[in-house]
Amino acid sequence: MKYIDLLNFLNPVHFPIIAIMLYFLGAFLIVLFGRNRIVRNCIAFLATGLTLTLLILLVKPILIDGGIIPYWMGNRVPAGGYAIGIALEVDALSLFFGLLVATAVFVAILYSFSYMSEDDNEPQYYTLFLMLAGGVLGMVFSGDLFNMFIMVEILTFAAVALTAFRNRVTGALEAAFKYLVVGCIGSTCILAGTILLYQQTHTLNLAQLAYVIPRVGGTNVTVAFALLFIGFCTKAFIVPFHPLAADAHGAAPAPVSVMISGVLTKSGIYGIIRLSFFLFQTMNLGTMQFWLVFLGSVSMFVCVTMALAQHDFKRLLAFHSISQIGYVLTAVGLATTLGASAGLYHAMNHTLFKGLLFLTAGAVLHETGTTDLGKLGGLSKKMPWTTALFLIGAASISGIPPFNGFASKWLIYQASYEKAVETGNIGFALVTICALVTSTLTLASFVKVTQSVFFGQLPKECENAKEVSWGMRLAMSILAILCLVTGLFPNAVQKLLTIPAGSALFNPNAYINGMWQSHLPETAAPAVQTVGVWNPTNWLILLMIALLSICIVAIASKYDAVRENKGEKVALKYSLFYGGEETEFSQVGGGDLFWGFKQNWRHYFSFMHNLHSGIVNDYSLWAVVALALAMVYALIVL
Amino acid sequence: MDMILNALKYLAYVLIFPGFLFCFLSGLLLCGIDRKLVARMQKRVGPPILQPFYDFFKLCGKETIVPAAANKFMFLMAPLLGLAALVVLQLFIPVFQFNIPAFTEVADVIVILYLLLIPAVSIILGGASTGSPYAGVGLSREMVTVLACELPLVLVLLSVGKVVGASYQGGICFSMTKIVEYQMSHGSLITHAGLIPAAIAFLLVIPGETGNHPFDAAEAETEICEGMLAEYSGAPLGVFKLNHGIKMLTMTSLFVMLFFGGLGSGIESLVALVGLTGTAAHMVSVLLAVLLLFLLCVIVTAVGISLVHAVTARLKIEQIFKYYWTVVSGLALLSLVLVWYGL
Amino acid sequence: MFKKLIAESTGKSPWLFHINAGSCNGCDIELVSVLTPRYDAERLGFKLTGSPRHADIVVVTGPVTQQSLNRVLRSIEQVPDPKCIVTMGSCPQSGNVFRGSYSVAGPLSKYVHVDVDVAGCTPKPEAVIDGLYLATQILAEKRKEMKK
Repeated sequence: MKYIDLLNFLNPVHFPIIAIMLYFLGAFLIVLFGRNRIVRNCIAFLATGLTLTLLILLVKPILIDGGIIPYWMGNRVPAGGYAIGIALEVDALSLFFGLLVATAVFVAILYSFSYMSEDDNEPQYYTLFLMLAGGVLGMVFSGDLFNMFIMVEILTFAAVALTAFRNRVTGALEAAFKYLVVGCIGSTCILAGTILLYQQTHTLNLAQLAYVIPRVGGTNVTVAFALLFIGFCTKAFIVPFHPLAADAHGAAPAPVSVMISGVLTKSGIYGIIRLSFFLFQTMNLGTMQFWLVFLGSVSMFVCVTMALAQHDFKRLLAFHSISQIGYVLTAVGLATTLGASAGLYHAMNHTLFKGLLFLTAGAVLHETGTTDLGKLGGLSKKMPWTTALFLIGAASISGIPPFNGFASKWLIYQASYEKAVETGNIGFALVTICALVTSTLTLASFVKVTQSVFFGQLPKECENAKEVSWGMRLAMSILAILCLVTGLFPNAVQKLLTIPAGSALFNPNAYINGMWQSHLPETAAPAVQTVGVWNPTNWLILLMIALLSICIVAIASKYDAVRENKGEKVALKYSLFYGGEETEFSQVGGGDLFWGFKQNWRHYFSFMHNLHSGIVNDYSLWAVVALALAMVYALIVL
Repeated sequence: MDMILNALKYLAYVLIFPGFLFCFLSGLLLCGIDRKLVARMQKRVGPPILQPFYDFFKLCGKETIVPAAANKFMFLMAPLLGLAALVVLQLFIPVFQFNIPAFTEVADVIVILYLLLIPAVSIILGGASTGSPYAGVGLSREMVTVLACELPLVLVLLSVGKVVGASYQGGICFSMTKIVEYQMSHGSLITHAGLIPAAIAFLLVIPGETGNHPFDAAEAETEICEGMLAEYSGAPLGVFKLNHGIKMLTMTSLFVMLFFGGLGSGIESLVALVGLTGTAAHMVSVLLAVLLLFLLCVIVTAVGISLVHAVTARLKIEQIFKYYWTVVSGLALLSLVLVWYGL
Repeated sequence: MFKKLIAESTGKSPWLFHINAGSCNGCDIELVSVLTPRYDAERLGFKLTGSPRHADIVVVTGPVTQQSLNRVLRSIEQVPDPKCIVTMGSCPQSGNVFRGSYSVAGPLSKYVHVDVDVAGCTPKPEAVIDGLYLATQILAEKRKEMKK
């Protein structure tokens, strides 16, 4: 009988399971001792903070040294060539997604401390929140398919409950119900796919499946692929599952939106990657690449146009998050090392900037009680910090250099165009164009938000708004700084995080070897080649020099002869110019912007408007149709 | 010591040539030439060529009124940010074969496309920060114009990247230096049959991107009181006018470098013919190259901006969008297809 | 150097803002004709702007009706210094044929300091250009005084 060696816990081998357990333990402890606010916050903070620390400690052995950590629960190692025990396997890809999860969860929890303080049922909120976090982390670390399904169930139900958490908000219950129905269709698909695979291969261990499936083949396996694929698509809200996300985000509290958009969708993407690159190893097929790239491009374009038509801050952000997920899927679907690394880079950036944007939306909601673009305006004077942070987030998502969105989108353009030139297929060039145009459309819709929430005129209802508490600002600032840092040092980020994770996709044998100590030949992924030139740090230095010198010239030459209104009453001189009419509130509302664009696309928009009926039956039907199409496609081409 | 000298050298690049001072002078000069040309085309005498300078300095001498509803920091910083971004952008565009590698290796054409958004965003933010409803309408139109120009520009740049990339490893090339280098040895890209529609498309994009006359719905002074600039007065307004001039310079020189980059190849041999050698020869050739570039910019302005200004009436915003996404993008797409299949 | 440039440029780039204070539209048309190829005031740097914030010279036409009074005053107030106010036509100076009407609040000089009056109904374009040119000189003077 061995006694427990405490030091043994410090072995990195145990970190993944400890990380997952910390979340669930936190959830459990909050149920027990969460009545007291301070105790509750401490537990949540410790659980999320420690997890993040543990995962950061894993960066060295896994991402830098290229190791893989297999872990058999209860030391039940496989016997007779079959894995009966529950396994975890953490390779570069898993850890990469794990890091995203832990970061987003940590920041969201920091934000929740003050954001949720006025809600009742706070302990329940934290419990569910940590369950959700644990579910996602468990899913990305899981080494077998059935546990992936279990974790997907945990996270789906936690997310549904959290969506309806503020059930007094109009539409919260409806959104949760829609999410529940379509989410369950997705989960059922995953379960059905798992069953089919088990029936065919008699194993559920991912590494073993990855070894067996390409060697077995057959109709059952193909159908299982389609089922699993659609199942994970619902988790990532890829078109045609996007309307759910919009409803869910609109109703959920901001930190939960951060989780749904930044973390939950990533779990779907992770599932798709695991499925197509590792389990089925189908990504070398042109048809499969086409399928992913097509889905991704459609998602990014349809959702960005949907976002342009929204007039609710959070719904708009929700559509954007699918649009960005479309970028990720497109890039990964190119099945080149550059594409995969760019896609993962974008996935990371999306977690950061979309988290930031949802938190600023939450701050606006917290202060004004609404997220309707038509009712807001002029908050930049009342909430300067939030405005600045929002602008950073908006610049990041719209791909304005030097923020992180640009760094990754730019790699995606290159990857797709390189692929186009390499294969001589002009279709991939169209993907590049689609991505570039989508990026500008994203900018357009964020200009709309900027104008109608933070600038423009201040309506009477918003006059009591003030800056949010420092706790919320701290959480947002962390993300904003990360946005800037990951944008300024793209090479370091690629080298440290995304290239190891991206290369792992092309080396499934390493994954199998890591788990089974087998010796399948490993193929090194081709090196990443970028043809483009972009050096953000130098650009920023130049910009700063130019800006500084211009400011010096400006100040030296009496640019500072600035007159502004003194006192409460607005003198005539400083009032707005209104072409002769009396000054009155005449904000150009969010819905009216970009008329010139919408006019030309009116048929498209009215078609889309009719399509998004908001009826859950329709959305379920879409899910079933999508499943049928996926099955037919898979059966024909795989 | 060397480091300090180097730093001073780069500072001189940023501040004097091809940076701030050069942009200031040639941008405003280009603006003045444009105004004069339009006037002459309309059978007017027209303002003196130095008129934009007078305008700029006059505006510097006026007071700057910050409207009570405005966000002061954003209101005052937006023009400066736009100016800085444009000046830095100009550094990345080589002057024929004379480039400063430390700068031209910072960003390629696709990045330049994105950096061009920063001035547009800065004017949008500045306008939005005033809270004026005219600015609201103006920024919406400005954004749609940017959106309209983006698609043809992307198509043009992709076609150029494909043509030039044929002689480099990887099959695509977006580096400005390499594009010009390619033209030095293969002749200007305008002589490449497949790229002629792209060149025309780019020429048509220039007035849209700079917000010049038929496409200036965003700043229509007669209907929406200059849109985003409605509340600007004094020096910040002057800086925005300056930005407009520099943007004209940037777009025209980008056009020249993309499609006429080969024209500078004779300069060095010409200078050698006269008998100059060493540093003097280099200085003279750079000077000649700059003059040639400016001359070409003036020609492009005359054809692409002034002529169009003089013969057309302002378009409505949805017409601008439609025009760019059908006619101009069609031309550019034609070019991409031609280039793709080896023409 | 900078101050010198500014001082020199102030008179050379006068931008106009035109306020119609109940005019019969005669003067308005005549003002626009000043910018046509025949007279081309742009050679002196004149330019019509859309916003009072950009203007140097405010051109007021019409007899300043009760309806427009507040708006005229507000728009004039919104013009940044140094500025110059020019009345065009007889209406803003005396009320012309509208004088004594219940709805006329003019003349304009009752409310603000008017720098140049261009009389006539309507004034000839030559006279308008002359008046505006005079205004540019006053503008330069004002700029000098502002700096004192």
